[in-house]
Amino acid sequence: MRPENYQSVSQPPSNEFELFYGPNHPGIEGNYALKVRVHGDEVTSARADGGYLHRGFEKLMEGRLWIQNIALVPRICVPDPVPMEVCYSLAVEELGGIEVPLRAQWIRVMQLELSRIAAHLFFFGGHAATTGMYTPMFWGITDRDLILDLFEELSGGRVYHIYNIPGGVRRDLPPGYLERVSKTLDYLESRLPDYDNLLFTNKVFVHRATGIGAMTQEQALEWGVTGPNLRATGLAFDVRRDDPYLVYDQLDFDIPVEAAGDAWARSLVRRSELKESLRILRQVVAKLPHIGGAIRAPIPNPLAWNLPAGDVYTRVESSKGELAYYVVSNGGDKPYRVHVRGPSAMHAVQVLEHLATGARIEDVAQIMFSLDACPPEVDR
Amino acid sequence: MKLAASPPNNVSASLEFLLQEIPGLRTKWAGPRRLRVDLPAETLPALLELLKGRAGYVHLSAISCVDWPTQNEFELVYHLWSYELNVLVMAHIRIPRDPGVYLSVYDLYHPAAFFERDIHEMFGLYFEGSPDMGKFILTEWDGPPPMRKEFDSEAWVMNQFEWQDYRPDWLAEIEAKGGGITTRPQDIRKDGKP
Repeated sequence: MRPENYQSVSQPPSNEFELFYGPNHPGIEGNYALKVRVHGDEVTSARADGGYLHRGFEKLMEGRLWIQNIALVPRICVPDPVPMEVCYSLAVEELGGIEVPLRAQWIRVMQLELSRIAAHLFFFGGHAATTGMYTPMFWGITDRDLILDLFEELSGGRVYHIYNIPGGVRRDLPPGYLERVSKTLDYLESRLPDYDNLLFTNKVFVHRATGIGAMTQEQALEWGVTGPNLRATGLAFDVRRDDPYLVYDQLDFDIPVEAAGDAWARSLVRRSELKESLRILRQVVAKLPHIGGAIRAPIPNPLAWNLPAGDVYTRVESSKGELAYYVVSNGGDKPYRVHVRGPSAMHAVQVLEHLATGARIEDVAQIMFSLDACPPEVDR
Repeated sequence: MKLAASPPNNVSASLEFLLQEIPGLRTKWAGPRRLRVDLPAETLPALLELLKGRAGYVHLSAISCVDWPTQNEFELVYHLWSYELNVLVMAHIRIPRDPGVYLSVYDLYHPAAFFERDIHEMFGLYFEGSPDMGKFILTEWDGPPPMRKEFDSEAWVMNQFEWQDYRPDWLAEIEAKGGGITTRPQDIRKDGKP
């Protein structure tokens, strides 16, 4: 709120206080606020307050060419930008009836999984930091940087790659790239026991995270929870397996689940997913050298490219949950309407409000981070 | 493995059989796991109840709104997913732009609260019975709903802000010496590329 719009209100005498988590708070990956009312140290009600990162992407995209929007979409989620590019590209390809070459599909899977690992490393660090442990934060960010190095080599950008375009990917892998990916995977795999020792079997963390922000599977389904947060309540659903896209149906991976539905379970699910992503990447690295051919399908002149009228709903599994794009074309050279359905739109608003109510002050930050919400997905 | 054009016959047949209960409904398979449904606006609650109660459609993935000013209509699309059938149903309805009021489906699907609030804020469409139609993202915005097609962001910016030519003295001094953000001939590479 702008200062000139603030008006003080006199409240009746009460033992309740209003506390503001955010809009600048390390408990969430971006600018986002949670207003809580507390009685003693117990939260009696919570209200999410978004809009601090609203940049009007959906409106901006209506005014730009199909190809130009590729530079906009990764900005909708900073920690995990690749699913945004891929999901938008899949929608445009489906509208235009473009068949993506096999090699490009495998490269996309590699990128998606690298991005998932980077996002999960970011998550562990942040979640640990909300329980007062700062070393995992430094470790997570340092190891994430190795993946950003790989992205930089591939696309020129560390965070926003703008590498996937409708029809395929922008350029082929540099020479020796897969060996370097392999080396990074070796290193990350060797780090897993260290992470277990530091965090996941650490009694301080286990005690701090167990039973915090717990929800049952019924509640999760009622509130629209998806992704790792849903799998932490025991439902083995993954868009990659159950609504497959790209070449995920040719890959061998498990879907880790936990039963407890609390912050600890959410953390454990992501830890197991890290392992599964490494497993997928090993298969991709082994397979890619044997897949030749083009890296993108020929598309018409992108500056004068009219897509047939129609609408399409594409979904991918991002590190946060179910990410979907609803794209409508009216036969023009620009999207008529793009609706971004970010998983955090559920997690950071109603799920967070429900879970924070009844919690204690010291647990609110942990509940916020354990849902791994990405505020720009809410604000768009 | 090549995906089939539609889900296994028993799934698609049973789903289409179930949907026959709703009058005035048209179905079309838009992909292997995408069923497009067009129906009159007044029968949507009945469809949602049917899908949730008898086909396991417990997940409301999103509600999308599309503005069609030439037809003076809003199109609402309800994307529903069944964890049992693994088929997405996209229910399309059209409602008049004026007065722009529709029913909330919050009592069936709690995620609707967020999407309805968002559509209300961005398109000015009111949902009766939604738990909160207050502002969320555009807290201090008092202009027209910005996602409507007639709202021109560029015209609004031109009208709202004064453009200033940013040429401070220090930059003029640097430019006088041949610096600044201009490209000098000696900076151009030999192959002619910048």
